[in-house]
Amino acid sequence: MIKFKINDKEVEARTGWTVLETAKEYGIDIPTLCHHPAVAPTGSCRLCMVELKEGDWSKLVASCIYPVKEGINIYTETPKVHNVRRWILEMLLASCPASEEIRKLAEKHGVVSTRFPIHDPDQNCLICGLCQRVCEEVVGLSAIAVVDRGVHKKVGAPFLRPTDICVACGSCVTICPTGAMQEIFDTVRGKPELPLTQLA
Amino acid sequence: MNSNAKIGVFICKCGESIEPLIDLNGLKDSIKDHADYCDILSQPCLTPGLGHIMSAISKHNLNRIIVAGCDGRIMLKKFETALEPVDILKGQVDMVNLRSHVAAVSDTSPEQKAIKSAKLIKAAIAEMEALIPTEQERTQLEGPVAIVGNGIGAFPAAQKLIKAGVDCVLSLENTDPEEIIDNLHQSYPGEREHHGRVKQMVKDVLGHEKMTIIENSRLKELIGVTGDYTMVMEESDGTEKSLNASMIIAALDAQLFPPDPEFGYDGQKVLIQPEMEIQINKKGVPKGEVVFWVSDYEYGTPEFAGLSAKSAWLMAQQIKEASPSTQIIIFYNQMMALPLSAFERGVSRKLGISWVPYDKAVRPTVQDGYITFCHLKDHVEHEISWDFLVLSPKRALRGQAQTTAKILGLIHKQTPFLTGHHAKVRPEMIGREETYIVGSARYPCDLQETLNQGRKAGNKNVEMFEKSSQLQLFVPRNVCVVDPEKCVGCGQCQELCDCGGIGVAEYPGGGIPRMVDPMVCTGGGTCAAACPYNALVLQNNSTDQREARIAALSRQLEPGEVVSLACVWGGQPAADHAYRKKLTYDPGIHILGVPCVGQIDPSVMARAFLEGAPGLILIGCDPEECHHSYGIDHTWNRVNMIKKLFSLCGIDRRRIALAHADLNKPEEFVKTANSFTSLIRALGPIEKTQANHDKFKSIYHLCKYNSRIRTLLSVALRRPGEKIYRGDQKYALAFDKDFNQALEEEYDFPESALFEENIPGKGVLYA
Repeated sequence: MIKFKINDKEVEARTGWTVLETAKEYGIDIPTLCHHPAVAPTGSCRLCMVELKEGDWSKLVASCIYPVKEGINIYTETPKVHNVRRWILEMLLASCPASEEIRKLAEKHGVVSTRFPIHDPDQNCLICGLCQRVCEEVVGLSAIAVVDRGVHKKVGAPFLRPTDICVACGSCVTICPTGAMQEIFDTVRGKPELPLTQLA
Repeated sequence: MNSNAKIGVFICKCGESIEPLIDLNGLKDSIKDHADYCDILSQPCLTPGLGHIMSAISKHNLNRIIVAGCDGRIMLKKFETALEPVDILKGQVDMVNLRSHVAAVSDTSPEQKAIKSAKLIKAAIAEMEALIPTEQERTQLEGPVAIVGNGIGAFPAAQKLIKAGVDCVLSLENTDPEEIIDNLHQSYPGEREHHGRVKQMVKDVLGHEKMTIIENSRLKELIGVTGDYTMVMEESDGTEKSLNASMIIAALDAQLFPPDPEFGYDGQKVLIQPEMEIQINKKGVPKGEVVFWVSDYEYGTPEFAGLSAKSAWLMAQQIKEASPSTQIIIFYNQMMALPLSAFERGVSRKLGISWVPYDKAVRPTVQDGYITFCHLKDHVEHEISWDFLVLSPKRALRGQAQTTAKILGLIHKQTPFLTGHHAKVRPEMIGREETYIVGSARYPCDLQETLNQGRKAGNKNVEMFEKSSQLQLFVPRNVCVVDPEKCVGCGQCQELCDCGGIGVAEYPGGGIPRMVDPMVCTGGGTCAAACPYNALVLQNNSTDQREARIAALSRQLEPGEVVSLACVWGGQPAADHAYRKKLTYDPGIHILGVPCVGQIDPSVMARAFLEGAPGLILIGCDPEECHHSYGIDHTWNRVNMIKKLFSLCGIDRRRIALAHADLNKPEEFVKTANSFTSLIRALGPIEKTQANHDKFKSIYHLCKYNSRIRTLLSVALRRPGEKIYRGDQKYALAFDKDFNQALEEEYDFPESALFEENIPGKGVLYA
């Protein structure tokens, strides 16, 4: 048993648990977006940030991928955590303004507007990569990828062409936290114009 | 019935998604008497929760687990993987979707939702009780890999296998390396640059001491399953020889053949690319003007234009190098992208090979010595003169390659080539790929690609042999098995499923039992539902389980509530996504997930009504979208048989229905659910009289045990060769009349009294 504290409350965990899993076990709420029990956590959305105090220094860690350790002190509701959480939500509001889920989540944490420029008012995908991970880890295929890099980064089929690698099981649509996959899904499944081997 | 079943039910709070919406304590109280263990966990899917489940398993000796939480489609695998070390195998874990199918989809009270949840969980418990789990089976690969089909891809595959020390048998029509290379142009024109390399490889393979070569014999029949195949080979003098193999690689090349005469083809001056290669190398390099017309667009197969253009380009270079004075034009449709790199364009300019595009709107016309076309620049009809006009070849799977593919069971769903797999399912559901296919019969390609495919197939076979020697080559757990005692060898199953996994157990003969290759079966199960004698069983997912589940649910239903069987590819995800979109629908619909509606035996449908369900709706995929083998088409016939029987005994036909759902159209699913439940509510309950009970009992027995009716139903199902949804409707009325008459004859009301209390799932087996 590993003993440590969350919000000054003694908790017990076993090796291999993460801070987030321990918190959920004890009913302590930490907001998440890209975390899903079906797939391994990757810590891409950073919404689950918590403050870790060890002795007289502290740091912020993503609780979904931070393994538990004897004697650490985790705080989920400090000003530091609130601050970073609000910044992340503001950024999410700017990057996917069309998402109802993100708007509600932000509202819950007191964020109603964003100071960042909105590039695409219709965007509702936060590119958390859950769809890609579920396809790879649960279904066992690679029909969805994160295509392009930087500001052009988006989710779609390889080469952004419909692919027959996709078996149309809909796991990606089910797992998507914002519902963005519903639209993308129809561009992934389907018959390719040319088999991949014939692409120049 | 399995009395050893010890069932644990774990109810998930799932944060705010389930707990406040369903009265979980009330639910636990109503479940705990039906299961050996029941608990409420905050998050069973996370590592701490899994720990709780594991300790409950060891403390209470549980061997069946039901998690009542969220979507089994994405969560079940995690539980299966996590619980495998404690001997809970696939099939022994199941999920009930309280979150998406109960909690959020209606505004009834938490208590009412707890009642609905209890019904669904009790049904799952009944299914688990009926489960007879199988051992974790393995496939052993012993014996050689056979490479058949005469394609050039056989050699790289053989090379890889020999190198890894796997025995290999190669069946060839011709064993002279010179002739093999000489014939290469028939499938891969223009690729002479590779000939030296390929010849060396052919020589190496043929001369290797470990290689077994069979000359001049053709595959006639294939019997057996992965790991234990017997191939019947017919030699040229008609004698038959059998050959054992553990795996088979099909090396098949597509045939290239000339087009219709309308392109001016005469084989002398107007010829196709393989013939031009003979001309260049055997008859003398052509002089004068040679025009290569990439005519694939005109054949209606634009996808092969790039391939033909590449062959033309390679041959043009050969001609130019041998005879610089020959004028060469490569003539192509404007739609085609030039298959040349920047460097190759330079070479082309240097050699003086001209590429002339033509307007796609006007088809070029061949005349004696000229070809007329519409020029892109000025839209004036120009002419090119030619001494030789070289057309693209047409490509198809034909002749011996086609026969071999048919025997190996590789031809699916009317595709012209062999790319298609008969099923569109998760990789874990298939034990292995279908017989590895290498060569242009898989899909037209160049020589390089064929050699790559050969190497890949060789390597994959080596991998399988390694797995087998480490005892790691597992058979998927949800596959069909044949009971040889019951099987009469009618062959319905083999005809219905185009997996190629069902075959005869012996050769030659007709009325002998079938067998299933578990490494090829995807567990679609329409074959099992079609078996007239119930000889085919889907293991770990049987009709008995399905019946137990639907019976347990139907017994608990109130008037106005309906049972719905939703397939995991259509209906179930549509319902899950209705939750995601926060849609609500009638809470009267109780969804039971099934892997494919095609595996629903008519007896399961009849059982629902026998146990008191007022309505049953089957929600499958859209037509032509079945992920297995025409499951939705076959269900249509089965549902309609029940409708016919209902008419016969005066029950409203509308009480059973088939619906289609697309997983990305949850709004449509909501309409389906609402319309059917309101219909059943309007029809009112079926009166629980003895007469009605007897009627349903007769229907049930007729569906389950009457082999005449089951045979008649099976023969009417859609075959893989039929192109229309629901099969051939040519003699629809005549068939319907005959079928109705047969049903009338067999539906013998008073006789059903003989079947008193002999319903499986109630403890007494029908004798």
